[in-house]
This record gives sequence, C-alpha cells and structure tokens, in this order.
Amino acid sequence: MLPQYQTSRRDLLKSTSAGFGMLALAAMLKSDRAKAATESAKSSLQPKFAHFPPRAKRIIFVFMQGAVSQVDTFEYKPQLQKDHGKTGPEGGKLVGSRFRFRQYGETGSWFSELLPNLATHADKMCWLRGLHTDTPAHPQAVVQLHTGAANATLTRPSMGAWMLYGLGTENQDLPGYVTINPPPNFGGAVNFGSAFLPAHFQGSRINDQGYLPNLKARTDSGIQRRQLDFIQNMNQRFASLPGTPADVEGVIQSYELAFRMQGKVPELLDISDEPQQVLDAYGVRPGPAGSFARQCVMARRLSEAGVRFVEICQPGWDHHNNLHKGLIDRCQSVDQSTAALLTDLEQRGLLDETLVLFGSEFGRQPTSQGEDGRDHNITGYPMFLAGAGVKKGFVYGGTDEYGVRAVEGRMHTNDLHATLLALMGLDHEQLTYPYAGREFRLTDVAGEVKREIFA
Amino acid sequence: MTTLCGGNLSLSLRTALTILSCAVIGSSSPAALASSADEQDATQSARLEFFEKKVRPLLVSRCYACHSADTKPAGGLRVDDLNGLLNGGEAGAAVVPGDVNTSLLLQRVSAEAGKRRMPAEGDPLTDEQIADLRQWIQDGAVWPAVAVPESFGKTYEWYGDVRANHWAWQPIQKPQVPVTQSADWARGDIDRFILSTLEAQGLAPAGEADRSVLIRRVTYDLTGLAPTQADVDAFVSDTASDAFERVVDRLLQSEAFGEQWGRHWLDVARYGESTGPSRNIPYPHAWRYRDYVIDAFNADVPFNQFIREQIAGDLLPTTSDTERNRQAIATGFLAIGVKDVNQRFKIRFEMDNVDEQIDVVSRSVLGLTVSCARCHDHKFDPIPTTDYYALAGIFTSSENASGLRNQMGGSGLAYYVPANLVRLSGHEIPAPPAEKLAALEAKVAETKAKWDTIRGTPAGLKKQPNGQPVQRKFRVQYDKALADLNALKDPVENGGAVHGIREGKVADTAVRLRGEAEKHGPVVPRGFLTTFSVPGAAPVDVQQSGRLQLADWMTSDNNPLTPRVAVNRIWHHLFGRGIVSTVDNFGTTGDVPSHPELLDHLAGGFVHDGWSVKRLIRSILLSRTYQLSSESSAQNVAKDPSNRWLWRHSPRRLSAEEIRDSMLAASGKLIESRPDGSPARELKMIEIRDNGPEAAQLHAKAAKSTFRSIYLPLLRGVVPTTLEVFDPAEQTLVTGNRQTTNVPGQALFMLNSSFVRRQSLSLAELVLGRQDLDDNGKLTLAWQKVLGRLPEESERQEAIIFLANLEEAERERLSRSSDLAANEGAANTAVTTPAAPEVPPLDPDQVDQTGVAIAEDNVVSSDPRLSAWMALSQALFGTAEFRYVR
Repeated sequence: MLPQYQTSRRDLLKSTSAGFGMLALAAMLKSDRAKAATESAKSSLQPKFAHFPPRAKRIIFVFMQGAVSQVDTFEYKPQLQKDHGKTGPEGGKLVGSRFRFRQYGETGSWFSELLPNLATHADKMCWLRGLHTDTPAHPQAVVQLHTGAANATLTRPSMGAWMLYGLGTENQDLPGYVTINPPPNFGGAVNFGSAFLPAHFQGSRINDQGYLPNLKARTDSGIQRRQLDFIQNMNQRFASLPGTPADVEGVIQSYELAFRMQGKVPELLDISDEPQQVLDAYGVRPGPAGSFARQCVMARRLSEAGVRFVEICQPGWDHHNNLHKGLIDRCQSVDQSTAALLTDLEQRGLLDETLVLFGSEFGRQPTSQGEDGRDHNITGYPMFLAGAGVKKGFVYGGTDEYGVRAVEGRMHTNDLHATLLALMGLDHEQLTYPYAGREFRLTDVAGEVKREIFA
Repeated sequence: MTTLCGGNLSLSLRTALTILSCAVIGSSSPAALASSADEQDATQSARLEFFEKKVRPLLVSRCYACHSADTKPAGGLRVDDLNGLLNGGEAGAAVVPGDVNTSLLLQRVSAEAGKRRMPAEGDPLTDEQIADLRQWIQDGAVWPAVAVPESFGKTYEWYGDVRANHWAWQPIQKPQVPVTQSADWARGDIDRFILSTLEAQGLAPAGEADRSVLIRRVTYDLTGLAPTQADVDAFVSDTASDAFERVVDRLLQSEAFGEQWGRHWLDVARYGESTGPSRNIPYPHAWRYRDYVIDAFNADVPFNQFIREQIAGDLLPTTSDTERNRQAIATGFLAIGVKDVNQRFKIRFEMDNVDEQIDVVSRSVLGLTVSCARCHDHKFDPIPTTDYYALAGIFTSSENASGLRNQMGGSGLAYYVPANLVRLSGHEIPAPPAEKLAALEAKVAETKAKWDTIRGTPAGLKKQPNGQPVQRKFRVQYDKALADLNALKDPVENGGAVHGIREGKVADTAVRLRGEAEKHGPVVPRGFLTTFSVPGAAPVDVQQSGRLQLADWMTSDNNPLTPRVAVNRIWHHLFGRGIVSTVDNFGTTGDVPSHPELLDHLAGGFVHDGWSVKRLIRSILLSRTYQLSSESSAQNVAKDPSNRWLWRHSPRRLSAEEIRDSMLAASGKLIESRPDGSPARELKMIEIRDNGPEAAQLHAKAAKSTFRSIYLPLLRGVVPTTLEVFDPAEQTLVTGNRQTTNVPGQALFMLNSSFVRRQSLSLAELVLGRQDLDDNGKLTLAWQKVLGRLPEESERQEAIIFLANLEEAERERLSRSSDLAANEGAANTAVTTPAAPEVPPLDPDQVDQTGVAIAEDNVVSSDPRLSAWMALSQALFGTAEFRYVR
C-alpha cells in the first residue's frame, strides 16, 4: 500500500486545477511577495487575463508554405485575363489564369475552379487582400511571417509563443501550442520556437501521424503509476527539506501533468475514432496523400480541446515551373480538407471562438516565369481569416488591376501580427519581454491594428 | 513606458519618410564645373529631374522584375539602388558615372549584346530609351542622394552624463576591505565583503555545508560530474585542515574542468556547428574551436590572452606551426555565427555577418548590446551609431573565413567556397595540375548546362519507373562534378582547414542609415566605443583591419568592463546568480551590482593576478561564503527571499549536460576521454533539413554516444534529444544565464525516453551484477550511484516493497505477453527498433516535408527481477533530488 498522503496530494493538485494561479493569487495578497508572484505568473502557462476582451480564444493557422499563386485561385483579375501576353506594369509578360473563375455566395466572391469546396464558405471569409512583406526569399519570409522579423542573426520568438506568453493555455493537460508537420527548413524550429522567451512557450511539434516524443508509456500504466508514486514520494521528502527550492513543487506537478498527457494526448491525436462520414468529409486517406486531411482533423480536435495556437502546413506551392499541374495537385489536397475543417468547426459551434488564418509567406506574380511558372510577389498578396472576431464576407484591401502591388488597405506582416494579437485580446505594444537590455515585441517597432476587419 | 528597438532592417518607406528630411544631394559629376553655386544647383536639379522623368520609370518598368530588392537580383545585379548599379553584378559594374564606354548597362541593352540583350523578356528598348540612359550616365549618373537625417551626428544630450556616471564604465576601484562585527567568521576578504553586507541587512549566515554536500557541490561546479564514492569517502574522513583545498586543486587539474568551464564559454560564444535559421549549413570544423576552448581553460590561458586569441589570433606573433594553428582556430569564435546564406545581396550578407560579430564580441566580453546602434544611436546606453560603424569598419576590413558565400536559392555545394576557409600550417597542398583542373572545370560547366536545361521542364519532371524524375540524374551528375572540382582545390580534403577570420580589404566604412546596408552616410574612421575610456590603449593601426588593437583595447588592464564581466560570469556559475544578475548586460538597463565593492575587489585582483581563471575560482571556493549550507531559515527568507545577500548557498538544478553525463556516469557507460572531432566533421557544407537523412544520422549518433555532452554534435536546430528538454543554451543567442524551466516534457523524457531507460537498465545490471552484495547492499549502491548518499531507512523499506511489487507485476505482464508472442527465448534483454514507416514524397521534385516518425528504441527486459531493478533505477534518476545540487 501507498502512504495515504500520496493520494491526497494528487487530489489536491486535481482540485486546485488552477495550480500556480491559486498559489500566485494567495502570494500576491502578501505585498512583500507580490513582485515575485507577478513574475512567476507572467512566466507560467496558466490562463491569464488579456489586455482587453478577446474576440477569439484560439487560432488555427493553415499555412500554405511555398506561396500560392493567388491569380489562379482566389484573386480574380479580369484586366489580367484581357491583357494576357502584354508587358506588365513592372516588366515581364502578363499571363492570365488558365483556370475558370466564377462567383459564389451572396457576396459574389470569385474563386477559380480549383477551389469548389472552399468557395462554398465564401460568405464566411474575411479577406486581407493588401498584404505585403519585406523579403522575396522563402527562408526569410517564412521566418518573418512566424516571428515578425526576417533578420536571421537575432532569433525572435514565434507568434504562437507570444500568444502563450500573453494568454497562457486553457487546457492544463495539453501543450498550449502545437504545430503539425512544420517545414523542416526555412528556419525550421525557429518558426515555432520561443527564442528568448522561457522554453515552455515553444510549440510542440508533432507529425501527421500524431507522434510526440516520449509520449508513449513503455510499460503498463499500473506499473508506471507505482513507479511514479515512488518518484513522487521521494520528491515529497526532498521538497520538505529546509532550503529546497520552490521549483521542486513544479517538478512534482510536471510529473502529474505528464502522466495525464500520456493518457489524453494520444487519444486526442488518434483520429480513428471519428465517424467514417467525418473522415470522408475531410478526405482522410492512408499514407502521404491523406497527410493534410489528417492535419485538419487533428487541428479541429486540438482546438476543441483548448489548444491556444495550432498550425498545420501544406508545403509545395513554389511553382516557378509546373504551375498548371502543380496547382491542380496542391488544391486537390487542400480544398476539400480546409473546407471540411471550416464546416466542422461551424457545426460544433467552435467557429465563434476559433479564428482560422489561411495563407502563404507571400504571393506570386501575374507575369510568367518560363513556360509554365510564376515568380514570387511580396508587394501584394492575400490571406483570409474566418471565424471568431472578424467580419463575414468582407474584403479589406486590394491590389492593382493585375495583382502586382497592394494599393489599398495595405497590410504589412507586422500589421497582420498586431491585428491577430488584438483579436486575441492582446495589445501588441504592451506584450513585451525584456531581453538583452531592451523590451522586445512580436511587432518590433511597427504594426498597426486594422480594426476595420473586426466584427 | 515600453521601450523598444528596431531590429528589423527592412523598414518600410513610410517609416523612412517620417525620419528623414527630404534633402537631395547629387553625386559628383565629371562634367564641367559650373561657375557659381546657384548654377551648379540648377544643373544638378535639372539632371535629377531628367533621372526621375526618363530614367527611373524605364528602370522600374523594364528592369525591376528581375533586378530589384522586391524581386530578385538576377545575376547579382539590382538597379533600384545606385550602389547596386555601381557595384554591379557578377559581370562587373553596370554603371560607371561619366563613362558610357565601360558602363555594362549600355552594352547589355544594345543590339550588339545579341542573346544576352536585356530586357530578357518583351521588346528591346527603343533607341530613344537607350539614348536617355546614355545621357544620364554621361551626365554622371545622378541619383537622388540618400538623405542624411538632420539629427545625424547629434547624439542624445544625456550621453555625457550617463558616460560620466554609470557605474560600469568607471575605472575599477580598489575598495577598502570592510571591517566586520564578527571577527572570526571570515576566512578572507571575499567573506569580509559578504559578511559586512549581511550584518548591515541583519541576516545571519547559514552554517557550513556537510562535507558530503560540499564535495558534491564543488565537484559538479568544477567538472559537471558527481564525485565518485571513493572521492566522497576520502574527503569525509580527511580531517586535515587543507582537505578541501586539496580537493579543489585536484578538480582544477582534471580534464573535466575544461569541459565544464569551456561549456560555459561556448554558451556565450553562441557555439554551434551550423549556420542555423534559413538554410542550415554545417560548420564541419567548428569542433576544433570547441577543443581549443576546452584546452584553454585547462591550460589556464590568461583570460585576456584567451580573448585576444579569439579576436585577433591570426595577427598575434607565433613561434611554431602548432601555436599559429591554435591561434587561427581561436578566431573560429568570429566565424561560426548564425548566417543567412540565402541572403540575396552580398552587401547585406556581409553587414549582417559583421553585426553578428559585433554582437557576440560586445556582449560576451563587454556585457554591452552594441548592436542596437546599427540603426540608430543607442537609446539607453551612450553608444552612437558612429561608434558602431567605427567597430564595423574593423570587421569589414577583415574577411569572415567561414567557407561560405551568400546566394539566392541554390542547392548542393552552391554556398561553399573552399578557398574562403583558413588553412592550417603544415597541411600545404600542391597546386592541382592545370590540365586536370581545366578538365574538371569543363565538366562542371557541361553538367551545369545540362541540368539548367532540363530542370523543371515537363520532360525533366516526368517520372521514371523507379519513381524519380528524369531530371534527377542530371542534378546528381552536376553535384558530382562540382564535388570533384572542390575536392581538387579543397584544403579540407587534403588536410587542415578551419572556419576563422583573416585580414581583408582594409578601409573605413560608412555609417549605414537606418542600418540599411546600401544606404551610405558619412564614412567614420575605424575605432572603439566612446562609451568609456581605456587609458593607454593604442588606436587602430590604419594599415591593418584594427582587430589587433581592438583585442588589445578590450583586454587592456584599464578596460573597466572586461574584467568585471568576466569575474561576474565566474561568480554566476558558482553561486547561481551574478553579483550583477544580468550577466550579459552591464548597460544602463542591466541590474546594478548587489556587492559593487566586492565586484571591483575581484575584478582588480583578477587583473593583478594575471587574469588567471583558475586562481580566481580557487580563491572563491576557499571562501566560507561558498561553503555555506543551503539550509534556509524562515527569518532570512522573510527578509531576503531570493538570497541576494548570500546568507546561504542557493541550490541549483543541474544543466542539461550535467543531467545526461551524470546518468551515464551512474550507469557506468560514460566515456570520459575526448572523442576525435565531432560527427559533424563528416558533413559537407551542404544544407541539411531537420527531417533529412543527415539530421536523422546526427540524432542517431548523438543518441548512441556515451561521450560527455559537450562532445555531442551541436548543429543549430538539431539539438540532441538527450539535452533538448533541460534547457540547453539557445545556440543562436549569446547565453550567459540559461533558463531553468519545469515542463512535462522533462517528466516524459524521464519516464519514457529510450536514453533514460537504457541507462536505467545498465545501472540495474551493474547493481545486480554485484553478487557480493545482498539486496540491502545493492540498494545502498544504487542510492550512492544516483544520489550520492545512503538510503534512509524509510526509503529502504519502501524500495523493498516497490521491488517486490514490481517483480510480481512484471512477471504477470510477461506471462501475458509470452502467451501472445511465444517468447523469443534468446537474450533476456532486448532493444527493439521499430522500422520507420516508408513515406514517399508527394512530388518527387519538391522537398519532402512530411514529418518522419522518429524511430525510438524500446528498451525492455524480459527478466522480472531485472525489470524491477531497472524501474527502481529509473525512478531514482527521475527524482528531483537527482537533478539538484545543494
């Protein structure tokens, strides 16, 4: 038999699921400890108060790595079609899209035939059509989209890490920030890293099979529980010695959380218990062809369970050549699954608190590159938002008649970040962290919240 | 108020316009001098108008698509910036002001250029357009000058005051050693400084630590490992008055000292074996720098010499090849930083690298963030932009010999430049035979042409029966030819070459407005910071880069920062907190010293004693302060909860390396000797992806290695999984103070990782192998191996019950599973490695980005008794006690 206090200790931890929060609050009442408590609260993963009432609780970022050709998918440019073959405003030969466009929904939004499913959500979307960024090379642009800065020599925290730092996590049994199949290059781990923020704000990387390191118990759970109890007994004894650092309490808690995660996370990431019609709706198939669909299902499950920031990724949009067939392939893999994700979130009532962001690190040119390709475009490209906090069937910003440059509603990556933080209830100028003698923020020294898009 | 600093160098136009006044200055023109200033102005503005009306629109509409910052610099050329045109691309200067005959731009747009005629797409330029370009170049290629802000050169008024008053920039004082009330407590001056503050604060110091605690503490602090049981026993029973002193001397002499303290330096040197973010290219020779650092600490190279070697080792006098090589390797410090080889513009690549060098040098040695001044005068510390570019000139006058160049896109060996590495002496290679060289060069050209032709075409992308695209073999042929050519010229293939630095084209450099590499302001002479003065330091020798004088300035006995920063780092590692808690920041935004007099006492003594790190450490360890118990008292906690005044010794959590090494030591598997090089040395300087085969191999090698952690492959972004969860240094950042987090990932690592389970199995085998011991003896051995102490009686009882229960449960479990899998019956322990599922890429020509399931060994035992002891060993490794040192 185990000593009695073991169990009661676990009960205590369970009952005060607010954990650190409660402790911090208690400590704060004693003024001499107020500062320490505030510090530890700021660095903890407990839910925190936002700067102002949040419009969205969670974000799912659907990242199309490589840069989707917007004029072939969801940016209809009649003048481009008309001037096909002519020289563009900044040189190069204009090439109209080979795909047919038509209008959808009450808003009459234009989509190409490549995206018949996403198009059915036309009236939910809030388009940002005047985006621009600084660097037309994938590595820097991907890193900038994720961390706010393209300068590789000083690594910055990723936007998901900033959100965790600002808001904490809702579900203490799960990581608060999960990234599925992130690009293995173009900055790699930087894109979900915490840089100088405490390490527990970094994203947990899983693959599209739901693999997370060391999550699988290597022995029967009964045996492991006995082992864990033995460890916790020893920890308890150690914690009671005079002078043992308070962090040991954190070690004890982390074991309990880890034990719970072993049970819950695999369950959560195992999508086989979804009804067949749901899996079919997403287009789940075995093997690589079903990778993105599985990511979408996992994203919904993670988000539903309270994960603050989920990112999923479909690479392979860098169509300098093979544009025609490449787009057909890519859109096939993305269109149905993303549309199903939006439908599923909506049906479960999650779209009211979840914000979906869809897009690439930049866009592509309306002019040709080689026989069948388009080059990068950082001066004007779109992304869309859907769900919590944003207007439905709304367009903010736009590019010139060919889609080369953003001419109205211009929105730099910093502005996008400022706006996303604001939707989550965070003031991008207040969300700062001291490092190397100064305060850093996601938006560096820029960023403007585009309130026009708020619902 | 929130204070911020821009680090994003691509500031948008809107920002630029608000900062700048819109004055325009023309560039010089060889045209006839106008007779009056007014006339000159009139000519100038007419030319500017001509440029804006005729030339710029032409460049925008016909050239920008392939030659601008917003698109790409095809052929290395950009035309949206005057310097871009003047510097030109791969073919040379595009514009030579006033010289229409040599300006490549004119040649390339004319019909004579034939196939190479520009623009590559659309109609050729009209005769009229070409004439406009000719006119513009003839008239001196006038371009609206980069406007220098009116405020330029006028630094903040408060700079003077802060310079004069901030504590860290004042000369190091020789403070009076205080007299304390209690006369017999202090063992030396360090204790007198500490005790006088404790007395002033009304804090009673804790008693002395137990001997077993003390030897564990000092052994970890000096070597990163636990003491052996024999060491503990010897010290506990040694009653001589110099017993502790002898322990300290023994540890300072051990090889492990350099490994522990070398690792501390590698943290601030942001050591990594690859370029990191963007495209991750290995530094296959970085390990030589790592070994240099370890050896330097073991040899107690004076700290000022250590710094001098790293900044200017190539310029220091030497008497032998060995010494010359050692100093060349030391300069790896400046070369192995984070680099963005995918940077499109050479000048930005260079200025980013210079910035990285300034950052690492200034923060690691001076505890100052000088990099803030790249774009504007520092907002908190008196570091004007001109200081930054005075330093930058020193580094732009040096060549960053990392073996890499920038290139937009590109794959394979595209970024590798063998000649750019620093050659070691004694490894001279004969010049390659000209014929062979020519043949290989021709082969490269031929294979490249074929690859370029087929790349991305429908024919090239067509899949072969083996699933690979047709074009793949052309790529392979090209890579092979390039590799052969490199091998012929590559010093690495023929002997030693390292990443380092050497003298480059010596010249002062211009201030870059807002930090933008192309936007030149006034040129500033090379020099050092004006933030504080270093009496007696020699100025930059104008014939050289100035690195040697910079090194001398930094390590001068009169430099107020370098010794303070160095002793504070040492204090930090011994007490868990620096006298200045912000160890990398001694500027105005940093913390103030808790014991300023002690800091100066130590810094002054350090310099006076020849900058000996070992002697400084020794003197601190022999203080009573270091030897205090970690026991706490409620009274003191109420007054000083964070132990700022050092009334006790603060316990610390072991580092990631210490945790791994300690497990290996306890399980008997640790190899304490140094391996030859690093697994990274096998790599070519070709991009690796973190799910690619190279990364997988590195992970596998790291997982298998039983060498000390400092010798694991440490490529940026490919952190060994055995270190990852316990907060290793972020390899892209100067890290003087590591974080200590508490996350479930650590618990999961302890519970389920194959590494921990393998060490637990080894320890269990080791303990059970001791036939001479009964179970009690075995428990004692396990406790000693992991926790360095005897089990308490209650623990012993619990362990016996635990073992019995576990053995029983294991027996049941095994009988169940043997029913299922009719036991293999061979070995009684097994390590099974699941095969990674085959994941074919979606599109063979696209990089496969599908997450690879990481194969993890499942370490199990099919002997119930061994299983039970393995579980116990694992539980002991999992305790908080194991990872804390008191």
